[in-house]
Formats: sequence, structure tokens, C-alpha cells
Amino acid sequence: MTLVQRGRWLTGIGLLLLGGVYLRALAFTPVELHQGPAQKIFYVHVPAAWSSMLAMGLVGLASILYLLVRDTRYDRFAAASAEVGTVFACVMLTTGPLWAKPIWGTWWTWDARLTLTLMLFFIFIGYQLLRGAVTDPAVRARSAAVVGICGLVLLPFIHLSVYLFRTLHPQPIVLKPSAPSAPPEMVTTLLLSVGVFSLLYLGFVIQRYALGGAARDD
Amino acid sequence: MRDLLRHAWRVTRKDLRLEFRSRTALTSALVFTALVLVVFEHGRDPTAVPTLNLAPSILWVTFSFASMLALNRAFQAELENHALDGLLLAPISRTSLFWGKLGANLVFVALVQVTGMLLFMLFFNVPVWRVWAPLAAVTALATVGFIAVGTLFSAMVVRTRFAELMLPVLLLPFLLPPLIAAVQVTVQLFAGRPLSEVAGWLRLLAAYDICFVTLATLLFPFTVTE
Amino acid sequence: MTEAIPQNAPYMVAAYVVTAAILVGYAIVLALRTRRSRDS
Repeated sequence: MTLVQRGRWLTGIGLLLLGGVYLRALAFTPVELHQGPAQKIFYVHVPAAWSSMLAMGLVGLASILYLLVRDTRYDRFAAASAEVGTVFACVMLTTGPLWAKPIWGTWWTWDARLTLTLMLFFIFIGYQLLRGAVTDPAVRARSAAVVGICGLVLLPFIHLSVYLFRTLHPQPIVLKPSAPSAPPEMVTTLLLSVGVFSLLYLGFVIQRYALGGAARDD
Repeated sequence: MRDLLRHAWRVTRKDLRLEFRSRTALTSALVFTALVLVVFEHGRDPTAVPTLNLAPSILWVTFSFASMLALNRAFQAELENHALDGLLLAPISRTSLFWGKLGANLVFVALVQVTGMLLFMLFFNVPVWRVWAPLAAVTALATVGFIAVGTLFSAMVVRTRFAELMLPVLLLPFLLPPLIAAVQVTVQLFAGRPLSEVAGWLRLLAAYDICFVTLATLLFPFTVTE
Repeated sequence: MTEAIPQNAPYMVAAYVVTAAILVGYAIVLALRTRRSRDS
């Protein structure tokens, strides 16, 4: 099976499973009493955020590996992960305000986490703009790698700021030091969704990576 | 280590000497800073929002713009006459070159910031002098890490298309953490709170600086090798 | 004192629709782009 076919299969399965997650989230997960149905946006927003962070992390990792061993496949992977990460960041940035409006009464607020996830989006965009602006493939790979690594290192500072800045954003429920504090069905739905989004990430990246090998350099 | 610093200082001195001979970039930055402050003053309604509330934002926006100006000119001069190749062939390490550039950028930005601060006190009548020492410390902390990343990136984009546009686009995400932290601390300082209350933010700034100065130093050679 | 559950389902629907649109849309875009360049 070629790479493209593998990617397409994974994506197809991922989309089907996404339908399953939708069903479970909408019909089989309890409605949260204080936030109402809009709380269920949680089940697509958080996995999208997770996927874009994962994408950024892998861009960074691939960038480090590229600078260490100069294997262009790492560069190709980084480019693919950045594009896919941008897609998930778009999902994150559209579902976020749709959740914020009914819950907080405002589409957007410049609290630490929201602002800095917007910055993640800008890092992805900047990374791809830079790739577009450099013509020489070797220089492009090196420059992109530098930005990729810096972007990755920036992420922990993003997460750190959440704990320091008094914010409207719900305190991390699942990924905080103590045990998850949401009811078990909600945690399960969330984890399933994260799994499906990760699968989609994989399917997308494989296809995009396959594209990178075409004569038209990317 | 001694050689490293000595060579870096040579590079810094060269850059600063070059800058002070023509003074164009410095003058532009100072004039620009003054203009930004004037615009802010006239762009607000003095009866609606007290100066004290806006002060930290005005100050830090001004500093951000000044930093961008400084960074743009950092590697610009090296483009002419292949000066950069000359620098790379010199018997100094890449680290010295980077620290030299970083040093020059920091001196430049510091000059603009000090002037900006004085003008700010003049225009806005905010009692800054009472907290000038902690304010200077926060300013330094917030600036160092950001300028390190900026120096690294400016070396990288200098030969790309749309270099002047590329640098701010790439740099903006890196400006946010130090900017947010610095504004928070400045707000507390102007409100008369002691520095100990904002220790968390200061630790974040220090961590950011250590982290990115180190990272930028490590990555710089990759931006100038062939 | 029990308060009524907020009636904000339209936001939920919008979010789920947008998410599906973006993800399915990108999947289609990728499928089209990979068709044009057969590769492994």
C-alpha cells in the first residue's frame, strides 16, 4: 500500500469514528447543568487544541532531528505537521469563541490561554510564510527548523502563563496535577474524541508528507 | 570563555561605532518613540480613562516598536559588500558573533527605552521616578529574551523576500509572554505594590530569558552556515 | 434553588458543524492534491 493510500484509509476511518464521537457526545453524554448544551463544544474544542499542540510539538521535534542529522525527510515531515496543525488550530479558534459567547457572554477575551493559542496559530502561519519566502531548499529547511524549535520551546511558557494569569478560561480539568474532576462519561467521551482527532492528525500528515515528495518543492 | 567575551565585545563595539557614526537608525527610533507617545496622548480621552491605567500599555507598546526598529537594522548593514561573509571568515566563534550582535541590539534598545521613559514621564505626568529601579529591572528582564530571539530571526530573514514584514510576523508570538508579564508587573509597580508580590511573573521572565538566550545562541550558527 | 439549564444548543450545533466542515473539507483538499501527484 502506498503512503497516500495509507493516509487516505486512516483519514477515512478517522472521519467515520468522528461521526461516532459526534453521536456519543451529542446523544449519549449528559448535559452539564450550569453551562447547558454548549458545554459539549468541549468535546471538539479540546481535542482540536490537543492536536494542534501535538502538531507543533512534532514540528519542533522533527526540526531538532533535521538540524542534527540533516535528513530531508524530517524537514518534509515538519512541513506536513505544520500545515495539519494549522487546520486543527482553525478548528480550535472557531469552536473556542462559539463556546465563549454563550458561557462568558463574549466572543473573545484576551486572557492568557486564548491569547496564546492565537499565538500558536500565528507561529504556524509564520512558519509556513517563511517556508514560502525562502527559495533555496537547504536554507529553507534550516531556517524553518530554527523557527520550529523556538516555537516548540515557547509552548511551555504558554501553559505556564495560564497558571499565573487570573483568567476566565476554565481551569484545566483533565490535565491538571490532581485527578480529573468531571463525571466519568464526560471524561470518556473526551478521551475518545482526542483519540479520533489524533488518528485524523496521522492520516492528514501522512498524505501531506506524501505530497512533499512531489517535484513541486514544499 | 575570556576570548568569547572579548570577541563579542569587539563585534558589539563595531556595531555601535557604526551606528553612532551615522546615527540614522537611532534618531529614527527616538523620533518614532516620541511620535508614538504623542499619538497615544492625543488618541485618548483624558476624562474617560485615567493616565495611570493606560500607562503600562503605552510604555510597553512603545518599547515593542522600538525593539522592532532595532532588530531590523541589526543585520541590514552586513548585506552590503558581503560584510557578513567577512564577519564569518574572521577568527571568532559564531557564539561571539551572536553575542556581539545581541549586545549591540540591547544597547541600542536600552537607549531608546531610557529616552522613551523620560519622554513618557514628561508627557504623561506619571510618577515613574518613585519606582524607577524596579521598573528598569523589569524592563531589562523583559527585553533580553525577546531581543535574543529577534537577533536570531533577523539573521535568518535578512536574505529572504519581504524581510521587513517577515520579522514582525515571526516575532510577535515571542513578544507576548514577556510583554504580558512586564505589563502585569508594571501595573503593580505603578499601583505602589512591592516587587515581592509579582515574584511569579519575575520568575517567568527570568526563565524565559535564560531559556531563549541559550536557545538562540545554540541555533545561531545554523542561520549563517552555508 | 435550582436554575434552568441554559438554552444554548445553537452554539453547540454551529461548533460541531464548523468542525466537521473544516476537517472533511481538508480531507477532500488533501485527497484532490494527492490524486494529482501519484506518489508513495
